[in-house]
Amino acid sequence: MFLEVKQIRKSFGQEQVVTDLTFSLERHKTLSILGQSGCGKTTMLKMLGGLVTPDGGDIRLDGASISHKKPEQRNIIYLYQEDLLFPHLNVFENIAFGLRLKKHPAKEVRQKVETMVESLELQGQQSKMPHQLSGGQRQRVSFGRAIINNPALLLLDEPFGSLDAGTRQRMQQLFKKIAGAFSITSLFVTHDLKEAILMGDEIAFMKSGVLKVYKSKQAFIEDPETGVQSEIGFWKDLK
Amino acid sequence: MRFSVKPFILSLLVLLVLFPFAYLGLLSLAGDWRFPDVWPAYIGLRNWYAVLSAETSLWQSFLLSVLISVSVATAATFSGFFISRLVYYHPKQHLLTLLSYFPYILAPVVFAACLSFFFLKLGLFGKSGGVVVAQFMVAFPYALIFFGSFWGSKTQQLEKLVATLGGNLWHTFQRVLLPMARGMLLVCFFQTFLISWFEYGLTSIIGVGKVQTLTIKVFLFIKEANFYYGALSCVLLILPPVALLYINKRYVFNKLV
Repeated sequence: MFLEVKQIRKSFGQEQVVTDLTFSLERHKTLSILGQSGCGKTTMLKMLGGLVTPDGGDIRLDGASISHKKPEQRNIIYLYQEDLLFPHLNVFENIAFGLRLKKHPAKEVRQKVETMVESLELQGQQSKMPHQLSGGQRQRVSFGRAIINNPALLLLDEPFGSLDAGTRQRMQQLFKKIAGAFSITSLFVTHDLKEAILMGDEIAFMKSGVLKVYKSKQAFIEDPETGVQSEIGFWKDLK
Repeated sequence: MRFSVKPFILSLLVLLVLFPFAYLGLLSLAGDWRFPDVWPAYIGLRNWYAVLSAETSLWQSFLLSVLISVSVATAATFSGFFISRLVYYHPKQHLLTLLSYFPYILAPVVFAACLSFFFLKLGLFGKSGGVVVAQFMVAFPYALIFFGSFWGSKTQQLEKLVATLGGNLWHTFQRVLLPMARGMLLVCFFQTFLISWFEYGLTSIIGVGKVQTLTIKVFLFIKEANFYYGALSCVLLILPPVALLYINKRYVFNKLV
């Protein structure tokens, strides 16, 4: 397995936020994780990204332990719900940010950014500043800035949470397309049932710090705890 | 046609604001102006030539003030920026912020009197370096408090994002935090420059009359009842703040809005 998480746990004071988290993920797959607010999803992602230190357990990426590596050495990119574009940089420079840090040649940076801009359907927006973009465009730039670095693992923390329904749907389709084109391995956290089913190759449910990974989408749908059955019941009763 | 008083009131307000400056300018050019004359007997550049003469040493005071204020403002702005990050990310942030208000609960003269023993022991009494250190102790907490609003949760998230994108702390400051804070750094430099530029209490005690900044000179001339040189020093005193105000208005405030 490409990503292996073994018995990771974390507590803040007396509160156990993540309990014996164990799961694995194949390369180039997306695991979507459904969970209500405060169930420990964000803490779990931050531990994988190196932004929060776990109390115990091990994280292995491509066979090697990364538990003691600093965030900048992990090649794991964490994307917040907010797009967090750098306000002093235009679209081009925001996307090129990671490549500039790694001192890629200017010609290569231009070429890669232009390809990315095309994939993100942002042609003609390169010189715009973040405040001149719509919510969906900003989120696309944020994706581009992460994916252009070819991360080993992409962590998405409710990335479409602040978008309206229409933009959210378009962004879901775009993400699926880009994740496939750039062979991205990712963990996609959401509290939206439909989004969890749509976005993941595999699916998991998190409750009170405990993660349950399902063998198939069918198993996820059939489990009454996930809320899918009650959702189906609601729409049936409406008829 | 409808009569409006608004333009008259506005003109009056503008006149009221400009009058002290115009009067200072006139006084700096005047000589032999005695009661009950309504106009000075002499108007010319005589006083201004005196700026360059050794008699008043105003020119040296002006340069010394610029040097002290630029040093204080530069040191306070940059140390304030970096140290405020430590303060506002610290678990005891509220206590540390409260402590940074300490220099402002005492009058500058009392504060200077409390510090004078230590300045004497360190050999900083009556030295320009001592005045820089003393003024820094007032300007630095201001900068610390000023940058507090910059270190919010969004800045923390940006710092973490840079880390996951492969950047270290140097990259974070160089490529994100300093460019983002450019406007605030300039405003803080301007404000701390003003704090230092107009500082009198600390400077007079720690400088013990040996460090004659322009502000000290203004008070000396006024004590001597030399209104013409007093006005001239005041004109010199307001020149750098006016220049800074213009630069801030032209290049900083417009971009911040």
